[in-house]
Amino acid sequence: MGTNQQEGMNERFLDSVDVLVNWARKYSLWPMFFGLSCCFVEEATALTSRYDLARFGAEVLRASPRQADLLIVSGTVFKKIAPVVLRLYEQMAEPKWVISMGSCSNCGGMYDVYSVVQGVDQILPVDVYIPGCPPRPEAVMQGLVMLQEKIAAEERPARSIFHLPGGTQGTQRPLRVDGLTKSRDPRGPGMGGIPIRGSSVVPPKFPDSRTDLMWTSPARRVELNDGDRALADVLKDRFGDAVEPAPQSSDMLTVQVREERLKDVLRFLKTEAAPRYQRLDDLTAVDESARRERDRYPDFSLVYHLLSFEAASKLRIKVPLHGEAPTTRSVTDLWPSANWYEREVFDLFGIRFEGHPNLRRILLPHDWEGHPLRKSYAGRATEMTPYTLEDARKCQPFDGGVYVKQDGGEHRLILNMGPHHVSTHGLLRYVVALEGEEITGLEMDLGYHHRGVEKIGERQSWHQFIPYCARVDYLAGAANDLPYVLAVEALADIRVPERAQVIRVMLSELFRLSNHLVWFATYAHDVGAMTPNFYAFREREMILDIVELITGGRLHPSWFRLGGVAADLPDGWKEAVDQFVNIFPSRLQEYERLIRENPIFKARTMGIGRISLENAMDWGVTGPNLRACGLDWDLRKKMPYSGYENFQFEVPIAEGGDCYARYLVRVEEMRQSLKIIEQAAANMPSGRTMTDDYRYVLPKRTDMLQDIESLIHHFVNVTRGPKIPRGEAYMSCEIPRGEQGYYVVSDGLGAAYRMRIRGPGFANVQVMPQLAVGESIADLIAIIGSVDYILPDIDR
Amino acid sequence: MQPIACEGVLSPWEPGVFSLALFTVLVLAFVASQLFIASWLGEKKTTPEKARPYESGIIPTGTARLRYPVPFYLVAIFFLVFDVEGAYIFSWAVACEELGWAGWLQMTFFIGLLLVGLVYIWKNGGLDWGPTSKKE
Repeated sequence: MGTNQQEGMNERFLDSVDVLVNWARKYSLWPMFFGLSCCFVEEATALTSRYDLARFGAEVLRASPRQADLLIVSGTVFKKIAPVVLRLYEQMAEPKWVISMGSCSNCGGMYDVYSVVQGVDQILPVDVYIPGCPPRPEAVMQGLVMLQEKIAAEERPARSIFHLPGGTQGTQRPLRVDGLTKSRDPRGPGMGGIPIRGSSVVPPKFPDSRTDLMWTSPARRVELNDGDRALADVLKDRFGDAVEPAPQSSDMLTVQVREERLKDVLRFLKTEAAPRYQRLDDLTAVDESARRERDRYPDFSLVYHLLSFEAASKLRIKVPLHGEAPTTRSVTDLWPSANWYEREVFDLFGIRFEGHPNLRRILLPHDWEGHPLRKSYAGRATEMTPYTLEDARKCQPFDGGVYVKQDGGEHRLILNMGPHHVSTHGLLRYVVALEGEEITGLEMDLGYHHRGVEKIGERQSWHQFIPYCARVDYLAGAANDLPYVLAVEALADIRVPERAQVIRVMLSELFRLSNHLVWFATYAHDVGAMTPNFYAFREREMILDIVELITGGRLHPSWFRLGGVAADLPDGWKEAVDQFVNIFPSRLQEYERLIRENPIFKARTMGIGRISLENAMDWGVTGPNLRACGLDWDLRKKMPYSGYENFQFEVPIAEGGDCYARYLVRVEEMRQSLKIIEQAAANMPSGRTMTDDYRYVLPKRTDMLQDIESLIHHFVNVTRGPKIPRGEAYMSCEIPRGEQGYYVVSDGLGAAYRMRIRGPGFANVQVMPQLAVGESIADLIAIIGSVDYILPDIDR
Repeated sequence: MQPIACEGVLSPWEPGVFSLALFTVLVLAFVASQLFIASWLGEKKTTPEKARPYESGIIPTGTARLRYPVPFYLVAIFFLVFDVEGAYIFSWAVACEELGWAGWLQMTFFIGLLLVGLVYIWKNGGLDWGPTSKKE
């Protein structure tokens, strides 16, 4: 009797301790400052004034795993970052919990692609899954509350605390194993008998693509202007047979150059031609081996897009290459910026560049096999063996010493900043060599955010690809969609009604404001000012409310369509925009004044991270970073698109090219964007929001319900997707961070043959050593923040 | 000033000393119990990963026990020098009136010498901090 009573009392005591400890734990969770991609923006938004996660007892993201007990895996888990995720989890304090936030982290989401782990639960135990792409801040709160409920209902920590056997605490869920406890099959479990949707049109084997049976008009053909024609003649005179201007083009002068004379042609164009093409806008390749008319194409084509500041014109150079693994010459001595571009081509296509100083993989892990953008490479992660815990333990990133040479100073400290770091603003790894506090060497390791979106572009239909655009720069939302739809519209000669153009401009500018507000808040935070965070996010929520009112989405509206926009503006949009336009200038004035003349801010930014204008042009720096060097170059003015020529606005520039100049440019850009939004709202034209030629586009719903032809187009374009005429087009736009370009190549099929994205960040970040070497380590934070890059558009 | 009564001052039964001793024992016991409870109740689960230094999720390169660059020492030494001299100046200031003009003169000479030293290290760049690009 005595022992039973004793045990009963013990149990009651332990139960009450359980309740007490669980109560304490659930209201004092410490999430780690850990974000992988888009989802993290919404996670961070949950902390700001409107949502105020602190009400639920989880506040202030901890920068180090040592101080955290809650890991919110927010975003895409890449194979390259998975070992880091695992390490951070293992370094966290006990007991610890894991929330998987967003579709990517739950199951790979939209990114069924070679570089993405199809669900973080293959390497980490997960307590709570939050669905959504991305989940809203409210969903983060809901996830947190669910975790609290789980702690209170399921955990029995007392026994473990008192060193008794039994009891549970922290994450106990087992890892998921593909085929046993989870299914990665995109068709769902048990549907193995049917082909994966869309696989019949995906290279290399696409036997029965029905688009072959469809007719389209040929690609758009543009008349070249006198300057381009003269240049073509000059090239022909000078280089003879080695150059061959293309007879027709959908966008710009295109010249085919033989590989032997490539460097001479490029050198001529850069230094002697009139106008000079000073900037290497983009360098990429196309694997031609899966073309429908195979004999008309070489094995690979290298594609150089050049830009002339003098004439505000672009030029495309195509170089045919032959062989299984061809070799060509590096142009890094002409354009230093070619360094990363050539490494990328080597990484993804296996084309080698002679004379390249450092030709190794850039995006994929160093131990990766194969070159994913080759047509023979299977693109889907679900076609590969599942990524497991053993892989995450084994595939470690290279040691920092591999990147930074230690010559001349064995007493230098080599420090890894990132990939998981509060101030790297994404998964970018800086390997810094330090002598005292001074940076003596800086190298970057990227690819931790490589989402393989270019490969995905080759299998999604032309409409299906639109949702991927916004995720290429997740803070610029709809502004990302613009270069893609413009490129396809240029290729297929789709005319966009004026109202749709103005709506597109208005949304793009709203997103520019939203992006710059986030930048302003985080940059002020980077150099030590906490307050702007609370204010800037308040105004950003106003913008997102407008976006939500119009599009129904927040971060990724996916609302632009080929030929127009998804729907007309809803009732009440004008009042919402007007209200914002009235409120915003004084609000911005109010908190921007705190920073602009702040002596600490000035001391941290003035004269720090300088880059000269020549260097910036040579390295392909674009956007506010270029304008901060004093060059008046903005695509919206210089090569207007989508009707920007009808708006009155100024292009802010600043002198000096330092952090402070970049700050001034962006803040003034906010004011100019607001002017554009105001004009767009005041002068919104009436009329259609979707072109009335329905061959390639999704017809208006009312038309679809009324006439049979629209219904047929709707059916075909929604299901198998339109067939875009064979050809190619490159279109770049001034998105918030710089010039983002889409180079779309069509082989006359229902999906792009090649989808190349030129992200502004790739070039802007490549100059980082120029900005940072010689400065002190503390300044590196200020410099990184001032460049304002975002990882998915660097790594894509 | 009151002369201090030496009788029984160190006796533990003297009320002042007794309460101090008791207080000390209580504090020590409290601290010890806190440390014990924390270490006994706290989770201790070490793994090789957890024991590794945290460096942004990457395995660190090389050792952290490097020779520190000279400027760090300079700052430390300058601080010590001027800080210790502050102690002399304060003690002089307390007894300023007793020491009279002679003391004042000596102190002026001392402070003057300090200022010369400060100017010397200033001119020689000992106070410059930051990367070499800024120093030039």
